[in-house]
Amino acid sequence: MDQQEKRLIKKVKKGDQQAFAELVERYKNSVFAICLRMVGNAQEAEDLSQEAFIRAYNHIDQYDHERKFSTWLFRIATNLSIDFLRRRKSNISLDAVVPGTEGLSLNAMLPDQTEQPEELAVRKETEEMVQNEIKKLPEKYRSAVVLKYIEDLSLKEISEIMDIPVGTVKTRIHRGREMLRKMMMAGGGDRA
Amino acid sequence: MSCTNKKYLSLMNKVLDEEATEREKHELYEHLDSCNECRVHFNELTYSTELLRRLAHPQLSAAFTKSVLDQLPAEKRHVILRWGSRHPVLTAVAICAVPMSLVVIGARHQTRDKNDYVLVNVSGDQT
Ligand SMILES: [Zn+2]
Repeated sequence: MDQQEKRLIKKVKKGDQQAFAELVERYKNSVFAICLRMVGNAQEAEDLSQEAFIRAYNHIDQYDHERKFSTWLFRIATNLSIDFLRRRKSNISLDAVVPGTEGLSLNAMLPDQTEQPEELAVRKETEEMVQNEIKKLPEKYRSAVVLKYIEDLSLKEISEIMDIPVGTVKTRIHRGREMLRKMMMAGGGDRA
Repeated sequence: MSCTNKKYLSLMNKVLDEEATEREKHELYEHLDSCNECRVHFNELTYSTELLRRLAHPQLSAAFTKSVLDQLPAEKRHVILRWGSRHPVLTAVAICAVPMSLVVIGARHQTRDKNDYVLVNVSGDQT
């Protein structure tokens, strides 16, 4: 962890909210990406991301500075997302009505200016397909796969975030990968 | 899969986890050259993970950060401490103001005590 980040965290521990704002700026897109791919809905992902940061702020004293701050923060975000998924299971009916297509864009999201409309349409379609398959993964596989492929984290970091041995992380990624492969191949079959 | 050699499936996983040695990679690729089934399987795995990697990473605007800050608990004594170190003169004035206001409150308190006394007396007279 770099020195500047250490300084920021020291300030946050003293209650400096401006310093905390800098940490939010640093990590908000990563936290949002984790939540978005975990729950598959931008609005809910934004709410969860906010909650993750608020929790991090309120419990900053529990952060062990020997570890990476991002590990601790991503752990909060992952756990909140899993809790959310478990809570949502109790009213699945709402979910089943609108499969996957809900709320993938949001006010708080900046539009990507570089893309042509057609590329955008194709990409959106692929994204929805992939997101729908991710949604079908059991949550323990899902979190391992998301941390690995969305955040590009090492197996070691994932094991710290999920608080499980590296071997278990590997097994979950392998199973998740295999399930996704089957679903993607069974699904569209269209490899555009 | 009907390719009976399970070894290659675990080699695929090793390669995808980026934990395979050059030798192991070579061993897998050599097998893929001759085994259609494993080749398809490996391509599908690679393709699926590639799709995952290519998922968008949306960028959140400054509104997000502001919204988080708005929801944080109000800064407490730390605010005063930091503010104090930035504005020593104003802090000194503020600190002087505390005993002054205590005097004022004390004075008010005294007056009220007198009034109370009067009231008690009045009611005492009535009984
Ligand atoms: Zn084979």
